[in-house]
Amino acid sequence: MLYDIRLKLSYRYQGLVAGSRHQLRVAPRSIDGIQRVFSLSIDLDPWPAEQSAFTDFFGNAVTAFANRDPHDRLNVTMAARVEVTRPEPSLDVSADLAGLAADVAASHSLTPHSPHHFLHQGSYTPQTEEMTAYARECAEGGASVLALADRLCRRIRDEFHYDGTATTVTTTAAEAFAGKSGVCQDFSHVMIAALRGLGVPAGYVSGCLRTEPPEGEDRLEGADAMHAWVRVWCGRESGWQEFDPTNGIPASSDHITIGYGRDYGDVTPILGMLKTAGDQASRQAVDVIPVG
Amino acid sequence: MPTVNDDDIPLLKGYRPLDGAADEMVDGTGALRPVWQHFMKEIGRLGPDEIAARARRADQYLNDAGVYYRFYDQAGSRERDWPLAHLPLLIGETEWRIIADGLCQRADLLEQIVADIYGPNRLVEQRLLPPELIAANPEYLRPVAGHIPLGGNFLHFCAFELGRGPDGRWWVLSDRTQAPSGIGFALENRVATTKAFSDIYNRLHVHRLAGFHRRFRDALTRLAGSQDLTAILTPGPFNETYYEQAYIARYLGISLLEGEDLIVTDGQVKVRTVSGLQPVNVLWRRLDAGFADPLELDQDSQIGTPGLVEAVRNRSVHVVNALGSGVLEMRALLAFLPRIARALSGQPLKLPSIATWWCGQDAERDHVLAHFDKMMIGPALSARMPFEDPDNTVLGGRLAAPDKAAWHHKLKSDGPGFVGQESVRLSTAPVFTNGRLEPRPVTLRVFLARTPDGWAVMHGGFARIGQTLDASAIAMQRGGRAADVWIVSDSPVEQETLLETGEAAFVRRLPGTLPSQAAENLTWLGRYTERLEGTTRTLRAWHVRLAEREDPDAPLLALVRDHLAALEVDIADPVPGRLADYIDRAVITAGNVRSRFSPDGWLALRDLSKTIHQLSATVEAGDDATRAMTVVLRKLAGFSGLVHENMYRFTGWRFLEIGRRLERAIHMTRTLALFTQEDMPVGAWDMLLEIADSTMTHRRQYESQLNRLTLIDLLALDPNNPRSVMFQLDTLRTEIAALPVPANTDRHQRLQRHVLKLHTDLQILEPGDVTGAFLATLQDGLEALYDSLAQTYY
Repeated sequence: MLYDIRLKLSYRYQGLVAGSRHQLRVAPRSIDGIQRVFSLSIDLDPWPAEQSAFTDFFGNAVTAFANRDPHDRLNVTMAARVEVTRPEPSLDVSADLAGLAADVAASHSLTPHSPHHFLHQGSYTPQTEEMTAYARECAEGGASVLALADRLCRRIRDEFHYDGTATTVTTTAAEAFAGKSGVCQDFSHVMIAALRGLGVPAGYVSGCLRTEPPEGEDRLEGADAMHAWVRVWCGRESGWQEFDPTNGIPASSDHITIGYGRDYGDVTPILGMLKTAGDQASRQAVDVIPVG
Repeated sequence: MPTVNDDDIPLLKGYRPLDGAADEMVDGTGALRPVWQHFMKEIGRLGPDEIAARARRADQYLNDAGVYYRFYDQAGSRERDWPLAHLPLLIGETEWRIIADGLCQRADLLEQIVADIYGPNRLVEQRLLPPELIAANPEYLRPVAGHIPLGGNFLHFCAFELGRGPDGRWWVLSDRTQAPSGIGFALENRVATTKAFSDIYNRLHVHRLAGFHRRFRDALTRLAGSQDLTAILTPGPFNETYYEQAYIARYLGISLLEGEDLIVTDGQVKVRTVSGLQPVNVLWRRLDAGFADPLELDQDSQIGTPGLVEAVRNRSVHVVNALGSGVLEMRALLAFLPRIARALSGQPLKLPSIATWWCGQDAERDHVLAHFDKMMIGPALSARMPFEDPDNTVLGGRLAAPDKAAWHHKLKSDGPGFVGQESVRLSTAPVFTNGRLEPRPVTLRVFLARTPDGWAVMHGGFARIGQTLDASAIAMQRGGRAADVWIVSDSPVEQETLLETGEAAFVRRLPGTLPSQAAENLTWLGRYTERLEGTTRTLRAWHVRLAEREDPDAPLLALVRDHLAALEVDIADPVPGRLADYIDRAVITAGNVRSRFSPDGWLALRDLSKTIHQLSATVEAGDDATRAMTVVLRKLAGFSGLVHENMYRFTGWRFLEIGRRLERAIHMTRTLALFTQEDMPVGAWDMLLEIADSTMTHRRQYESQLNRLTLIDLLALDPNNPRSVMFQLDTLRTEIAALPVPANTDRHQRLQRHVLKLHTDLQILEPGDVTGAFLATLQDGLEALYDSLAQTYY
């Protein structure tokens, strides 16, 4: 599937910002066998005093920039043409939990995709007995890791309430789990924390999702939002598989990948340090338009 | 173990080392070890009273020098006097060589390990290091993984914590590679200890410390290309060891900077100074890496520099030690060092580590469980020494049965999270207490610095001595004490100090440029102390009149009461809380710039603070308050005198002076406006002269009676009265003109025009022209002058 993707982040500052430094993680990445980026542009307003690009530990494309003159706004526009050809889920050859533990132990690596990075708790993903038990219930009958992840993913979709007002950008998995509500970021954190509690390596994926307008209606511009889902290491044979707990499905060719990380903290779309006293208002708009 | 029976030295009678532990001073037969013989004979000759007197001399020095460390408890953090155990720890030169040699090998090994962890990861691949210990370690900093530091080395300055086991061998208890503290305190320990025992020190051949500091500074200077491009990066005045950081910065002649002082532009680290942005090439960091950059490391850090990690990746700055080096401090690494040493160099470790088993491996965990009672069990990734981690580390043998069962369960369910370490008995060293010698457990911190000729080892160290015989109470936070370490040679040693090297090129001739933040702090220090003086003078004048049995509601007293109330000074309180407020703020701002401040000035300020806080508790209104205010004013004058007489007239002093003059001008303008209104109560003009400390001058200057015009002439327009507004504006003009020209020359010109206008506006007036409205405008102009100064320089 070929897409034109446009992402706009805008900030209005109350009072002037004397200086700022930001890092952006908004550009889709090319991933062998899943996704190809044909064109990409990032526009910044105001024009920054300095700008550079680098690839972070997990292979994500980062744009770093700084403004030194007083400014009252920041607008980021990312446009990309991306082809997603995610293979259909194949036969489940993944290990069970014991087999997975052996596969993890046999992995002597710290490369960015090594399962070892994705096993420990983080500030967004504290482990709790409740969440671990929640995941364990999905492992009954000696399920394979793939089946376990699939069940957990659907269970979260079924039992959690999508509510944009229930959580914030800093909500932890444990908090979202307690309220059984939140948004894609929270559902992903819950799934990650629950799986890690069982020793299953799990990571966070940020990206965009193609959405269909209601029957008979036109697509509204900017109606889409950034999305998040989960990748699960299912053992040496099956490797990383991706699940979308917000929609209760495996990731498909509707899922366009921007970044990989351990949790939201690793792939925050925009991180900034500003010198300002005032408040700020922000807006985010995403368009995912299928081409042809 | 037999007691010491050396009849020549009565002091040794009754000194009873522990069974099962080595003692530094006496051997297994109770005889003095050779390296202690000469020292103890001399000490013994002094007798208990003289030793106590000399110990007080050392404490007096520490007190005078203002040495402290920050102490944390449930009530928050407080400053504590430096707890010196007065007798040094003696180590013979031969034994020292073994330690030094072993630590140099270890430092090289750690460098290889950290380079591999952030580089090719061969140790993980070859199964010499479990990947989960790295991946789970919060000190493993992914943003710098794959990036080799500028210059190629991660480690430049390391410390090692050692203990001596019952078999007499030294063991490494802990590797300190993050941001080790102690070399400044080691110097202070040395100075204090030699204050007490200089005669003995000079008769023994004790290695000097300064050579090490000089070599390290030279190494940093060489990395930076110049001493001016080297700085210590501090977490700030609320850090436990800020005193030491300020001390060592002064001692080595390099700047002490906070994250706020730095800015990264185009991948290069610069210092915000009053002369614009200045580059910096070497940051000797004393803050933990996580705090260094809120953009890429700990996002909650308030003390970091956004972009620092990017500068590191750009290889444009040396960070000493490299960000990420803290990963080496985890306890679990000790379990893998012996194998890694053999694999990397073919050599065994020359100095063993404390025996450590990581419970992430089945056989090792089973060993820990089987020998549970002889183990210290704690977090695998902890960077703390097992002996100073009472909250998280347990002694297996001391646990009650149910706790033991709980720990067994923990080790089985979450083995990888824990290590077991052999619970060795540390050796003991003598401390002098209650007129006699007692053995106490001791650990030794040794420092190594990378130089172009290899690792330099400080010939000495920092010993910590437990408060009780229990080794778990050795931490200073728990009552432990610090001791000097004397490395004793059989033959004369090289005498050197930091400056007596003949290498004039390395001695700083000019102070570096002043960081903007320091300039701001110095200005406020000037303002707060002056504000304290102005308020205190007004209060004293008020209480003098109250003491003369005036009615507090009489018109004049009521007027001044309301005036003070508008400044949030409550006269009902004999020593109003505002005074304590001002001095507290002065102390905080002074604390922020301690490395730029004379120790005497600092002590005077702290003494003043203590006085004000004490007075607030006891003083009563009237006479008592009058006397109290006089005491405060006298001590303030002492402080101002020290600043005026002793502070080098460089940029920092100018900012302090500007702050002071500005505040005095504002105070005088405001007070003058109050007292020169129409229809003033009787005695008001006398009171004004008293507040302005100009009664005598007035009497001398004017033949006429006191009147409104003579007052205005003397207190507003007279350029020769150091209390007048004109005098302050004269000084402000001169000092502002002498400030460095910052990058933004427009602002600088605006500032100069601003002060010139205020000065001229006043200069052209006759006393009769100085109206209340004019004074109000002048006061606004003075307040705005500060804003203009701040915009130009901070």
